[in-house]
Amino acid sequence: MKLTIITGGLREPSSTRLLADRLLTAVTSELEEAGETVEPSFVELRPLGHPIMNAMLTGFTGEELETAFKTVADADGLIVVTPAFNASFSGLFKSFFDVLPERILWDMPVLIGATGGTERHTLVLEHALRPMFSYLHAIVSPRAVYAATSDFGSQTGYALAGRIDAAAADFARLLRGCGPRARRDAAEEDVAAMQQLLGGIA
Amino acid sequence: MQFGIFTVGDVTTDPTTGHTPTEAERIRATVAIARKAEEAGLDVFATGEHHNPPFVPSSPTTLLAYIAAQTKRIILSTSTTLITTNDPVKIAEDFSVLQHLSGGRTDIMLGRGNTGPVYPWFGQDIRDAIPLTVEHYGLLRRLWREETVDWEGKLRTSLQGFTLAPRPLDDVPPFVWHASIRTPEVAELAAYFGDGFFANHIFWPASHTRSMVELYRRRFAHYGHGTPEQAIVGLGGQVFMRRNSQDAVSEFRPYFDNAPVYGHGPSLEDFTASTPLTVGSPAEVIEKTLSFRDYVGDYQRQLFLMDHAGLPLRTVLEQLELLGEEVVPVLRKEFAVGRPADVPAAPTHASLLRARRSDSTPQSTGNDQENPEPR
Repeated sequence: MKLTIITGGLREPSSTRLLADRLLTAVTSELEEAGETVEPSFVELRPLGHPIMNAMLTGFTGEELETAFKTVADADGLIVVTPAFNASFSGLFKSFFDVLPERILWDMPVLIGATGGTERHTLVLEHALRPMFSYLHAIVSPRAVYAATSDFGSQTGYALAGRIDAAAADFARLLRGCGPRARRDAAEEDVAAMQQLLGGIA
Repeated sequence: MQFGIFTVGDVTTDPTTGHTPTEAERIRATVAIARKAEEAGLDVFATGEHHNPPFVPSSPTTLLAYIAAQTKRIILSTSTTLITTNDPVKIAEDFSVLQHLSGGRTDIMLGRGNTGPVYPWFGQDIRDAIPLTVEHYGLLRRLWREETVDWEGKLRTSLQGFTLAPRPLDDVPPFVWHASIRTPEVAELAAYFGDGFFANHIFWPASHTRSMVELYRRRFAHYGHGTPEQAIVGLGGQVFMRRNSQDAVSEFRPYFDNAPVYGHGPSLEDFTASTPLTVGSPAEVIEKTLSFRDYVGDYQRQLFLMDHAGLPLRTVLEQLELLGEEVVPVLRKEFAVGRPADVPAAPTHASLLRARRSDSTPQSTGNDQENPEPR
């Protein structure tokens, strides 16, 4: 099963990447217990910052961004994690989905996650990420994971692990239920629609 | 193989001098550029169609007719004519007249146009863009091919017993290219009718252009027009040259950095590395242009964008001289090497007329020379 992990962390090391890694580990172990093999690939958004902005401003999609789009399109499921900025996802994270070609996320199982300075931003998952992925016709996993700075401290680390495991269990079940994803070929779909129209005038 | 230039007709401030040409200056410069293209030995001059500032070519056939009167040999085309918002009857009329005036030195490139506001200006709805393309083009083909047309569609009033006047020159419709940057439907449309497919290549990596052209070639063969290799392919491109590569880069950089289409995006270096843009010596332009064949196969038409981004007329004319003297002669020779005999040349009025005659009774009226003079 191909999993693509999209992380929008801006620093190195990044707590956003850390959460993404922990989610991947948990989902992988759930899937492997069920006899699936997992093939992960990462799309880190920070190095794509300039290409994403170029695509926004001039419509120019360079090779590195094309490669990232293909990695997303080829996945059976996505794990996406963004830092929370000003009560929402980061602009870079949103911009990546703004330039991602239409239809790539249709019927894509997605596990959403976010990181932030305090737990007061927890609802960013429900009022920013979930609506956007619903709009893009993805299948958003029911439990999402928010990690605040305090979660990474030793006192409360256990609670975070519990949330990760619970979300991973949901998502693994969703992935298995959905099975391998039919790869959409937008070009072929467009051509098929055109053939129908041309049939009308021939 | 045909070589030529295509203009967008943008009025852009020269970032090195602050000079903004007037609309009149820009239009007259376009005519000078077209004349120079012929003088430099190029085969095609093509103009875009735009209906909003800062662009000037809102009436391509008016412009092309004026150029036709001042030239003898060069093929006059569009890049593109909007098949969605122009009425197909008017397109047929305009291009028939242009064919007669230019002695058949006319073809047409069709596109949808991509600015939303232009649709309502011409009484159309952008949501119908693809159905309009199909319906209008279906009608246009019939107007050019049938003496009396009864037609009924969904998006235009019906026609009863309509006859196009004037009929196309020698009853040979202009050759049609369908242009697309990223729309696979257009490749399918071109393939369905066995028309040319023009990939306007200029902002896209080779992999993208390759897949669009492959789709068109495959579907061209599927519809029984010939082998995939015999499909008629055109490519866009853009270059800026000086004898010394570094001079080209330093002179072009301010234009690139401030151009409405490229500016404030990728660097000149990144853009040249991953798109057809070449900024350098004539030898570099030759090398890169020849490499296009590696990913689209042997093709029929190469057009370069030369007069954009605020470049002054004098510079554009110098570019055309270099293109005509040093680049195109080498490209003609090199593109001919290894080109299979059954890969056709780009259709012209003369070749279409010959094909038409060999289909019916063979006879000569003596006007099917390769490069007809205006009559």
